[in-house]
Amino acid sequence: MTESINTIPFSRMFKPKELEGYRKNLLSKNDPDSPKILICCGPGCQPSGSIEVAEEIKKAVIEAGWNGKVIPQVKMTGCHGLCSKGPLVTIEPEGIFYQKVKPKDVPEIVEKTLLNGELIKRLEYKNPATKQTHSHTKDIPFYGRQTRLVLKNIGHIDPFDINDAIMRGAYSGLAKALSEMMPGQIINEIKASGLRGRGGAGFSTGVKWESCASYPGTRYIICNADEGDPGAFMDRALLEGDPHSVLEGMALAALAIGSERGYLYVRLEYPLAVKTLTQGIRQAEELGLLGKNIMGTGFNFELSISRGAGAFVCGESSALMSSLEGKVGRPRPKYIRSVEKGFQDSPSNLNNVETYANIADIILNGGKWYKDFGTEESAGTKVFSLTGNIYNIGLVEVPMGVSLREMVYEIGGGIPKKREFKAVQTGGPSGGCIPKQFLDIPVAFGSLAKVGSIMGSGGMIVLDEDSCMVEIARYFTHFLVEESCGQCTPCREGLIRMLEILNRITKGEGQDGDIDTLEELGHFMTDFSLCGLGTSAGNPVLSTIKYFREEYEVHIQNKKCPAGVCKPLFNYSIDANECTGCGKCRLRCPVNAITGEKKKPHTMDRDLCIKCQECYKNCDFRAIMII
Amino acid sequence: MKTLKIILNGKETTAKPDQTILEVATENGVFIPTLCHSTALEPAAMCRLCMVELTEGRRSKFVTSCNYPLRQDAEIKTDTEVIRHGRKMIIELLMARCPDSEELKKLAGEYSANITRFAPLNDDCVVCGLCARVCEKVGGKTLTLSGRGVHIKVNTAFGEASPYCIGCGACVQICPVNAIKIEDIESERVITIHGREAARIKLNHCDVCDKYYGPVIDLTKVMERLGEKTIPPPNLNLCPGCARQKLGKRIADRYYDVY
Repeated sequence: MTESINTIPFSRMFKPKELEGYRKNLLSKNDPDSPKILICCGPGCQPSGSIEVAEEIKKAVIEAGWNGKVIPQVKMTGCHGLCSKGPLVTIEPEGIFYQKVKPKDVPEIVEKTLLNGELIKRLEYKNPATKQTHSHTKDIPFYGRQTRLVLKNIGHIDPFDINDAIMRGAYSGLAKALSEMMPGQIINEIKASGLRGRGGAGFSTGVKWESCASYPGTRYIICNADEGDPGAFMDRALLEGDPHSVLEGMALAALAIGSERGYLYVRLEYPLAVKTLTQGIRQAEELGLLGKNIMGTGFNFELSISRGAGAFVCGESSALMSSLEGKVGRPRPKYIRSVEKGFQDSPSNLNNVETYANIADIILNGGKWYKDFGTEESAGTKVFSLTGNIYNIGLVEVPMGVSLREMVYEIGGGIPKKREFKAVQTGGPSGGCIPKQFLDIPVAFGSLAKVGSIMGSGGMIVLDEDSCMVEIARYFTHFLVEESCGQCTPCREGLIRMLEILNRITKGEGQDGDIDTLEELGHFMTDFSLCGLGTSAGNPVLSTIKYFREEYEVHIQNKKCPAGVCKPLFNYSIDANECTGCGKCRLRCPVNAITGEKKKPHTMDRDLCIKCQECYKNCDFRAIMII
Repeated sequence: MKTLKIILNGKETTAKPDQTILEVATENGVFIPTLCHSTALEPAAMCRLCMVELTEGRRSKFVTSCNYPLRQDAEIKTDTEVIRHGRKMIIELLMARCPDSEELKKLAGEYSANITRFAPLNDDCVVCGLCARVCEKVGGKTLTLSGRGVHIKVNTAFGEASPYCIGCGACVQICPVNAIKIEDIESERVITIHGREAARIKLNHCDVCDKYYGPVIDLTKVMERLGEKTIPPPNLNLCPGCARQKLGKRIADRYYDVY
C-alpha cells in the first residue's frame, strides 16, 4: 500500500498561512487522483454488513498481485447517500458505483474491476423508471440532480482522520477569517449569504449572530445535534461522515461572536457521532486548529461534547440549554431570547449542525456565491433525508426551490410497486402532510409554510396510497404524547385528548363532531402552548384534516379504512378476475387463511385472516382487494 | 426611569419597564385568572390561563401575562373572544382531569365551559407545579415534578416518603385545588399526595399540656440560611400556647413585684 497519511506526524501550526503549506505537503504525498475504494460505513449501510465488506476488501487488496499498478487505498467513509441500496462501494477516480455489495462479491470486484477495469453488471444501479443500469455515480439521477455543498466531503473522507479533511479544504475558511477578516466582516458575510437556520424555524443566521454579539458577558456557542424527528438522519450523517465541517463552523461562529467556549449537544442515540467528534476535536487541538491559541493568533476556542438523555423536547433551544446546565430538560417559560440570556444566563448562540456545516464555505467563497444557490427568500442548499414509500431512500442535498415532484420522482425514483403517490410528510412531528395537488410547489421555507407544513430539519417521508392519513396523524400524535415535556396545560392535556379521539376513530368508534373537536384542540394548542413543540403539536392532525377530510369522514361515518391500515375497519378479499392462482399469497399467509388450487383463483377465509398485509403487499397482480 | 404607555382593554395607563402584564393589570383592577401564579414565586407560565393578546408595534401575539416583561409601548386585551375560548378549553381539559375541584367549577361557570366533553381521568392534581416551586424556596426541596409528558406528576425523590420534608405545610397552603393533605396523627405529621404518603415527620411533645405540636426539625439548615453559627440552646419543650402562657405568667410575676 502507499504510505498511509496516518503516518505523517501532526505538527502544530503557528500561523494561519501554515495551513496551506501543510495541505500542500499532504497532497504531495497523497495524489487525490490515486485509486481509492470507498466503502460507506454510515448508519444505513453498517447494519447491512458494510464493515464485513470493508474488512474483506482490505484483505483482498493486500493479497492481490498488482504487477506494478498503484495499489488502491481502502477507506471506510461516512454516508454515501443511497441508503436503501447499501452496502455501497465507490471506486475512485473513475467513480464506479456498486450497490448491495456482499462480502462474497469482493474477490470479483478486485479481480475484474480493480485489476482489469471491467464492470460488474450485477452490482450496478438499476434505474426504476428506464430499467437501464448505471455504472458511474454521476449517471445516477439520484446523484446527478443533487448539489452537494454541505455533503461535499461525506463519502470521500475517513471521518476519523483530520488530514483527509484538510486535503479537501477543511479549516481553510477558519485560516482565512483569522488572517484577514474582522468579526464584523464574518457576520456581514453570513448576513449577505442569506443563510437561514437549518434546524427548522429558518431564522436568519447572520442576524442571530449579530444580536448575540451585541450582548455583554461570557458568550457561548452551542450546536444542536439532538436530531429527534422520526425518519431524519441528516445531522447524524454529517457528524459521522464529516465532523470537521461542523467544528470549523462553530469555531468561525465563536470568532465572529467573541466566544471562547462551545458545546456540542449530541443525542444519546448517536454513539458513533460522539466518537468521530471526540477524535476530530482531539486531532484539531493537536494541530492547533481548535483549543488554545488557534493557529498562533491568540484566539481560543474550546469545545466539549455533552450527551443528551434521549428526550425529543431537548431539541427545543431553551430545553436544550437547561439540559446542558444539568437541569431537567424542559423549555423555559421566558420571553427573553437565548442570544441575550441562554446557557448559564449568558448570551448563547445556538445553531443546528447543518447551519454550522455551511459556514466555512460561505467564508471561503463569499456570501454572494452562496446566495446564488436556491431562491430569493431561502438561499443555499438543504439536506433532506428522503424516506418512506419511495425507491431511492437516502440522504439528498438539493438547492432550495426544487419542486416536490422532482424530489419524489426524479431524485427519489418514484413510488415502488406501481402504487400511487398520496402525500409527503415534511418537518417531522411538527410538520404536516402535503398532498398531490401541491407536488409542484418549490421546497423552500415560505412555500412549505403556505401549504400548512414546515421545512423542519429536513425529514421528508413519502406516503403512497396504502398509507392511512388518520393513522399517520395518530402515529405522530402518539409520538408527541410520549415526548411532550408535560409542563403546560394545552400541550399535555390537549395531546392526551387528541390521541384519545384518534384512537377511537381508528378503532371504528368515531363519533360525529370528532373532527371539529380535533380542529378546535389543534388551533387552541397552536395559540396557547408554551414552546415550539406545543405550538406545532397540532400540525399533523390539522394538516391531514385540511387535505384528507373525506378520509376522516369515511372512518367515522362508514367505519371503513380505505387504505387498509386500521385493522378493525377493513377486510381483504381476493378478486377472482385478477387472481392467476400463482400461490404466492397462499404460501406467505402465516395463518393459512388462503386456499386454492394452482392456476385457479384463490379464496380467503376472513375469520382466519389477521390482516398482516403479507398477501396484499406481495401480490404481483393486485388481486387482493380492500373492502 | 422611562414609563411605558399601555392601553389596557381600551383604557390608557402606564407601566414601568420589565413590569409584567399581570402586575400592570392588577394595579389597574383588571382581573386575569391564574392557577399556577403566586406573587411570592417566580412565574412558571404553566397553566396558560393568564394568556392575553398583546400588540407591540405592528405585531400582535398571544402571551402569558404572568411572565411577559413589558419593554415598549403596547396594547393589551385581556378578554377577547379567542382568549375566552382558549381559557374555556383549558378549564374543560383540567376539569376532565380533576372533576371534583371547587376552584375549577367556579371558573367553569364563569367561562361557561362544557365540562362533560372529555372523559374524566379522576385525578386530583392540575399539575400547576406551585407546590414543587414553593417547596424549593421555602421547604426542604422535597417535592418536584417528575416524569415527562402525560406521565408528569408531583412526586418526591424516587417516589418514596421523603426524609427531608420539614413539614412546613407550604405546599398544602399554596395548592389551588387542595390536592395535598396534611394531618397530625398522634406523634407524627403526615403529608399525603396522590393518596400516597409523601412524608412523615415527628412532632414535638409539649411538657406542660402533654400534647403534640409543630414538627421536629433539624435546625442546622435554617441557621445556615440565617447566617447564625450555633443553634440556640433548646427551650423547654413547650407548645406555642403553653409558651405564651408561661411568658405571660413571667411578665405578670415581674410587674407584681414592682407594685
